[in-house]
Amino acid sequence: MTSRVVAEIEAEVRELRAAGRVPKGLEDELERRFEEIAEASLVAGSLPASEDAAAAIGRSFNPSQLRRQATMLARRRLGPILRRLERRSILGAARAGESAWLQVHVTADHLERLAARSVFASRALSVLRPRGAASAGATLHPTIDGPLLTWVLEQLDNSRPDASGVPGLVLHVECGDGRIVEALAAQGLDARGADPRLSARAGGATSVVAAGALEYLGAAPSAAFGGLLLSGVVDRLRPGAARALAQLAARCLAPGGVVVVVSARPELVVAMDPVAADLALGRPMHPVTWCHLLAHFGLSELTMFEPDEPETDVFAVSARRPLQDQVGREGRRP
Amino acid sequence: MRARPVRIDQIIPSIVERDAVSHHTLEAQRVLHSMGFVSEIYARNMGPGLQGRVHLLDDIPREGPEHQWVCYQASIGSPAADVFVSHPGLKLVDYHNISPVELVERWLPHLGEEVRLGRKQLAEMAPTVEVGLADSEFNRAELEEAGYRQSTVAPLMVDTSNYTALPDRRVLDRLAAEHARGGHDWLFVGQMLPHKAHQDVIKALACAREIFDPLARLHLVGRESCPAYAKALHRFVAALGLSGAVDFAGSVSAGELSAYYTSADVLVCCSEHEGFCAPLLEAMHHRLPIVAYGVAAIPETVLDAGIVLPSKSPVLVATAVQRVLGDSALRKELVLAGLERARAFSIEGARRGFAQAVEQVLSAP
Repeated sequence: MTSRVVAEIEAEVRELRAAGRVPKGLEDELERRFEEIAEASLVAGSLPASEDAAAAIGRSFNPSQLRRQATMLARRRLGPILRRLERRSILGAARAGESAWLQVHVTADHLERLAARSVFASRALSVLRPRGAASAGATLHPTIDGPLLTWVLEQLDNSRPDASGVPGLVLHVECGDGRIVEALAAQGLDARGADPRLSARAGGATSVVAAGALEYLGAAPSAAFGGLLLSGVVDRLRPGAARALAQLAARCLAPGGVVVVVSARPELVVAMDPVAADLALGRPMHPVTWCHLLAHFGLSELTMFEPDEPETDVFAVSARRPLQDQVGREGRRP
Repeated sequence: MRARPVRIDQIIPSIVERDAVSHHTLEAQRVLHSMGFVSEIYARNMGPGLQGRVHLLDDIPREGPEHQWVCYQASIGSPAADVFVSHPGLKLVDYHNISPVELVERWLPHLGEEVRLGRKQLAEMAPTVEVGLADSEFNRAELEEAGYRQSTVAPLMVDTSNYTALPDRRVLDRLAAEHARGGHDWLFVGQMLPHKAHQDVIKALACAREIFDPLARLHLVGRESCPAYAKALHRFVAALGLSGAVDFAGSVSAGELSAYYTSADVLVCCSEHEGFCAPLLEAMHHRLPIVAYGVAAIPETVLDAGIVLPSKSPVLVATAVQRVLGDSALRKELVLAGLERARAFSIEGARRGFAQAVEQVLSAP
């Protein structure tokens, strides 16, 4: 029955077209308009596809996009009495965030940029900075402490030099004030840190450089590190950039080396204040997605941090580059 | 004939409430219990409300095939598949389809990675799997193509709470008021994901309003799961001047969904890919005629209970909708065929089908 009806409908369409009842070019126009809008949405919503992973990630903070977002925020939420309400709104947004991640990353990152435009944003930022980190040059990072810190240190301790020739150099990408780097060094590891918002810091056994973290990783030679700790920046990456970062990590790890990713749980975004949501440029990814990405680029022995307290805001996964080198020149399995 | 195991456990990457594969997994556990097996569900991630009913994947017992079988619920790439493959028990895969990479990657690159991995894992695990179950012939054929030696169709055990919920009165009243102003109500139900191709339903609506029904409205029900895609759809609707005609209803309760089905005149589906498409069954149950683009498992799910089109040219879809709305005899025929088709997918029938599939594996030499 239905095939007969479909044939009749097709015949009717032919008649409609012949009678000029279907406006000429209507379907093509609909197709064209959606494609234009789709393309614009995709360009606005993600980083451009690029072979140069480090460069792509380096563009995560697009100044003109930030200016647009800040202007939108001001227009929508602050009205004409900008200054007084701006202060209230920004502080409210930051405090409304129930997670450390929201306060530390989304709000604070953008407040840093808003600070250049407003003395009130600058004050709000100083309120948000963790105690002891508010001095010039300090930066913000996810809370890695307690059982999570123990777990991270255990994972990276596996990157000690051994008979397989795994180098002991461990890099903490976006290392904040270098606290974890110091803890790694205290374990006898050759630990380095990189953070884009840090003025050079030297002394003791640690070596923390003021470098764009991902540029640093992108410029590093292949198989340069026995251990990599990725935190902070991983909460703000767009999906395409996360893929690029996983690829970089796989390339930079020596065979037998370990990468640890510490990130906020993506579920936290759901509860995000609309102001902070407007300002956020990226989103954290699910731990399983990180596992997929790391496995995709040839890493194995995927392990997830399983806290006794299931409702934590932060998760961690680790993966190892196999001793039998399965990671091709571009980071993919051959 | 194989030795009857003590337990048949299930592995699923993620399990959450109000999700078709998750619901199917919970129903399968009931069926396995009714068959006298010990059966637990092991997941890598679980949503709220399922604690106590589902165990963490790390805790799965590891016994040999004479004591334990494991059934993997496959719909996405996951490290859970590695646990399944390395398990010593006899293995079954229950396959619910994995969206093709090219349909999702443009909008959701990370999901692209997951579906790519899922298809790779599906093929890699084939040699270790005794039997593949699939909830449609379309999915079964994909299993065969992926290298599964034995495969059989076991219907999806759908969540019938969407059938039985009373329509939400407030939504009903609102929709009735809109309807009273004239024009027909189109409905599409499905998460706002790129492979569901909402834009093609919107294009068809634009054509219908231009050619046949200037007051026609479209209700899009389903969670906005891909923000960039959802934003593009909102912009598209605004650009076409259809903001007053397209209702982005988002995720709704069972009662609200029932109200949408009750009030609509036609369900229009232009999906690019569906492994089964449960909303088609819901529409049949609610006596709502269907116009759908005949791709993937859709022709098999609909059969003669809807108009299945060979293309989704907007004018063709609009003309098909107009035909269904204007031809009362055809509409009646489709509704009756839909009710009959929905009965074929009753939960009792689906439970029997799943049990038979398990019996079939048991009785194999």
